[in-house]
Amino acid sequence: MPIKAWELDPHFKYEIMQEPGGEHLTACYQCSTCTLGCPITEIIPSYNPRKFIQMSLLGMRKEVLTNPDLWICAICQTCTARCPQNVVVGDVLSVLRRIAEKEAEAGNITIESPRPLFEKAFLHTLEKYGRLYDMGLAMEYYPKREGSKIKGMKAMMDDYRGFGMRMFKRGKMGPLGGHGMLKGMRPSKIKQREVMEKIFEWAEEHEK
Amino acid sequence: MSEKKIGYYPGCPSETTALEQDISTKAIFDKLGIEWVEIEDWNCCGAAEAEDPRLVYALNARNLAIAEKDGLPSIVTPCSICYFNLSRTNKALKSDEKLRAELQGIDPSLAYNGSVVPKHILDFLVNDVGLDELKSKLVKQVKLKVAPYYGCYLGRPPETAFDDPDDPVLMDRLIELIGGENVPFSSVKTLCCGGPLMMTRADIAFEMARKILQTAKDANADCIVLACPLCGMMLDAKQPDIEKALKIKFEMPVLYITQLLGLALGIEPKKLGLDKNIIATKKLLEKVM
Repeated sequence: MPIKAWELDPHFKYEIMQEPGGEHLTACYQCSTCTLGCPITEIIPSYNPRKFIQMSLLGMRKEVLTNPDLWICAICQTCTARCPQNVVVGDVLSVLRRIAEKEAEAGNITIESPRPLFEKAFLHTLEKYGRLYDMGLAMEYYPKREGSKIKGMKAMMDDYRGFGMRMFKRGKMGPLGGHGMLKGMRPSKIKQREVMEKIFEWAEEHEK
Repeated sequence: MSEKKIGYYPGCPSETTALEQDISTKAIFDKLGIEWVEIEDWNCCGAAEAEDPRLVYALNARNLAIAEKDGLPSIVTPCSICYFNLSRTNKALKSDEKLRAELQGIDPSLAYNGSVVPKHILDFLVNDVGLDELKSKLVKQVKLKVAPYYGCYLGRPPETAFDDPDDPVLMDRLIELIGGENVPFSSVKTLCCGGPLMMTRADIAFEMARKILQTAKDANADCIVLACPLCGMMLDAKQPDIEKALKIKFEMPVLYITQLLGLALGIEPKKLGLDKNIIATKKLLEKVM
């Protein structure tokens, strides 16, 4: 599809550069080193970090933010390490995901990936307990991803049946797993949980 | 060899999926006579899921501040992602007074002056303890063919890296030291394991892990050795799922470097959690013991 110049958003690049991690966006000279070394591109040829950068520079805000490929970056840092212009490509992509999430929360776009739900569920366990709680994460993530409690529980069982059994057999999760009784089944809580609440409150203030 | 007591930051998987990494790390600390203390009431580093750097800084400032308050000169962690988050937070806070003040404003427990050095266990063992010191404590040759897998965050990003980005060597050195043979593994040793995509795009994650497992198998390795609990989860705990989904058999044991080193230091397999790895290590141990 040809670009419609009148639909471009000339401010988009500044919006990105204001965010921590996006500062060096304009240093990109489109050499494509990021994409040539990307392990995701190797598997999914349509995945193209260079293109995300160029589209951002051009101001193709909506096209960038609604592209589902934004959510298949493994954050492996290969692009960042190899970029000759120190664009910090991985961090720029992370900024794009954060802007997309804000837009989705405001109801302006739809994200075709469960990854924001996963990240949220992960962080919710931290906010609550101070540490990752796998079971809590799964109990929130799967129903949200599947759109219903029953479907979510089924999907969770499908994923965890083998894996959970293996963990149980090796004493890593389950009633007798971990370092003590019920570890893995129940959350490991830190004492200063009120500090976690304050941290998340502060971070959310910033995101607005 | 550092004189002072070190802070140990286990990271969340140490309590569940990477139990054996935690057990073996503590066992080698003790065997080497390293004084250590677990960071009191530590919290999660935010892993790869906290995409907002400000959130990462706040979460890790608390852990660094606890270590500082307790007079610990360093925090050693066996997890690559924890290391990355602790280390980048330390860098950001040291150079940004405004950020330090802002974080302190959230809660006094986040007040940090920048005196702690975060270290990954591999960096700590090779560069702080040192190969000579380790050599003097070895009691057993571990004659195995090993595929040394590094993954991300040890050699990249440059901001926090402590090994070569394209051809890291620290684990290779340890394996040579204990009598092991490194199989040709350069083509995949720094590839991502796919872990961060496991829960949202398992198809891509499986293919990423497959390349690593396949290369180790093709090179006739006895085992893969690594230094990150997410890599361990992907390559070890998920290996049967990958085998099933892609209709391949690997049966490739996956060990943490602390487990392998522990064997060379003469620690009993059980005290290194070698009964906790998902792919059985029994045959492997028969070759060593």
